[in-house]
Amino acid sequence: MDSAMMLEARGVSKFFGGVKAVDDVSIGVREGSIHAVIGPNGAGKTTFFNTLSGFYFPDSGRVTYRGSEITRMANWKRIVLGMGRTFQTPSVFAELTVRENVMLGVRARAGVAFRLRPPAGEGREALEHRVDELLGFVNLGRSKERLVAELSHGGQRLCEIAMSLSTEPSLVLLDEPMAGLAETETDRIITVIRDLRQRLGLTVLFVEHNMRVVLSLAERITVLDRGKVLAEGTPSEIAANEIVRDAYLGKEALDHV
Amino acid sequence: MKARAELIAGGVVVAILAAGPYLSPLIHVDLSIVSEVLVTALAVMSVNLLLGYTGLPAFGNAAYFGLGAYGAALSAKYLHVDFIGAVIIGTASALLGGLILAPFLLRRRGIYFGLLSIAFGQVFYFVAYRFTDVTGGEDGMNFPRPLVLGHYAINETVFFYVALAAFVGCLIAFRTVVRSPFGRTLVAIRQNEARVRYLGLNTDRFIFVALLISATLAGLGGALFGLLINFAYPLELDWHQSGFFVLMMILGGAGTVWGSLVGSFIYVIGKDIISTQTSYWQLYLGGLFVACVLAFPRGILGTLLARLKARPAAADSEPHG
Repeated sequence: MDSAMMLEARGVSKFFGGVKAVDDVSIGVREGSIHAVIGPNGAGKTTFFNTLSGFYFPDSGRVTYRGSEITRMANWKRIVLGMGRTFQTPSVFAELTVRENVMLGVRARAGVAFRLRPPAGEGREALEHRVDELLGFVNLGRSKERLVAELSHGGQRLCEIAMSLSTEPSLVLLDEPMAGLAETETDRIITVIRDLRQRLGLTVLFVEHNMRVVLSLAERITVLDRGKVLAEGTPSEIAANEIVRDAYLGKEALDHV
Repeated sequence: MKARAELIAGGVVVAILAAGPYLSPLIHVDLSIVSEVLVTALAVMSVNLLLGYTGLPAFGNAAYFGLGAYGAALSAKYLHVDFIGAVIIGTASALLGGLILAPFLLRRRGIYFGLLSIAFGQVFYFVAYRFTDVTGGEDGMNFPRPLVLGHYAINETVFFYVALAAFVGCLIAFRTVVRSPFGRTLVAIRQNEARVRYLGLNTDRFIFVALLISATLAGLGGALFGLLINFAYPLELDWHQSGFFVLMMILGGAGTVWGSLVGSFIYVIGKDIISTQTSYWQLYLGGLFVACVLAFPRGILGTLLARLKARPAAADSEPHG
């Protein structure tokens, strides 16, 4: 197996009743790359994503992370291994402050979430420092003490990204990071995703609808249609692909390439 | 600053409770009823930990309460253990019950967790109901209150202070648990369990420990309740009883440390006072509940704390008192 592969799926399928939501999909995410999964609504992108992150298990096929099989591994164990993920609707603790949200993950990573006494002194400072660092990274430091419910959709998304980084992943899976965002907020998230790789050296796999975002971020694109892989390649290859063009891409979107 | 205010308020409440033997005659309430408030509050706390904090519908906690009462009753009657032994055996019976049920309950969430809790509780209820030779069946079983170390009798006043000590000890332990990183994680599980798992935490492990703490708390309350009334009866295990615990928790304030005492106080004292006035007491108590829920949608204490917090001066980051 290719050692430079961060995450690989081989022949992954997932059925819901008689519907094949994901049908024999294979994908390889290279270490250090930004890889996008695109496709029209109902193409099975999120379902595929959920089988990769262990939200549920595939009915057939294999998933490997850095060469070791994780097909039926519990989702929380994948996080311990070094995967992180966000959800299409920001999955946050709305009744807690931004700081508390990120602190939960920082504590989990530090192995103190199960304790009866919070760490004191230097230990506590180290955790607080880490929270500040993560909030600084997503540029949310000023909202630290605000309730997450009070943040804009984009702010909640940034908070969720900070949370998924709090467990110190090597690979982050972002499920439609731009869903429901205003254009200005989209630019903020694009910068953050770019920074994930450039400043933190992470590998990123994301599902996205917005072609402008995909073409400006991704180095590799996998196109899904009706649960199957339609094409895979670089942005320019995908843009030039007749089948993909016919299947669903608007011509205008590809003129940016 | 907030912790200090809570310490003072808590100290005042405990001081008033400690004067129970002198104050209860003033409101024409028997001291044993105030003891009942305290031991019932332990069972309400046990529901609060699971339902109020962790968001698990604990609709069967009477099972642990009844196991505590029967454990104390059976060990006092047949094994002739002393008072302390009966408390320990009663509490341990409930913990054992929790250890047996937890692996099954862990596999369910939401309403299915609630239904499974009820079903398991009813199993214990029917055992107590049918096993007439040992438990006295439907009639229940009475037993003399055992002496401490076989020598010292426990009268109602001493029992009251035993119950008060147990309550204060459990309240401090409960507060420590819910304010700890462990407790904050339970609250996070209530709000969004999937996210907690995607922070790399095995939520089953947290819920397992919460279930055991809950069973132990309810068991201690049940053991003391059995020793208070020198009687154990099947209805203690019944799902109706579980429902009353849930009701008291909602009344006092779900997810608040002191709410369990408030709910238990209003229910137990209210029932005692109203039932001596009228045989339609359930109607009036029901009316009282409806009025409370309308006036205090988050429970009495929960609503009052939320109002306090709404004032800018009381701003702080702890979402639950």
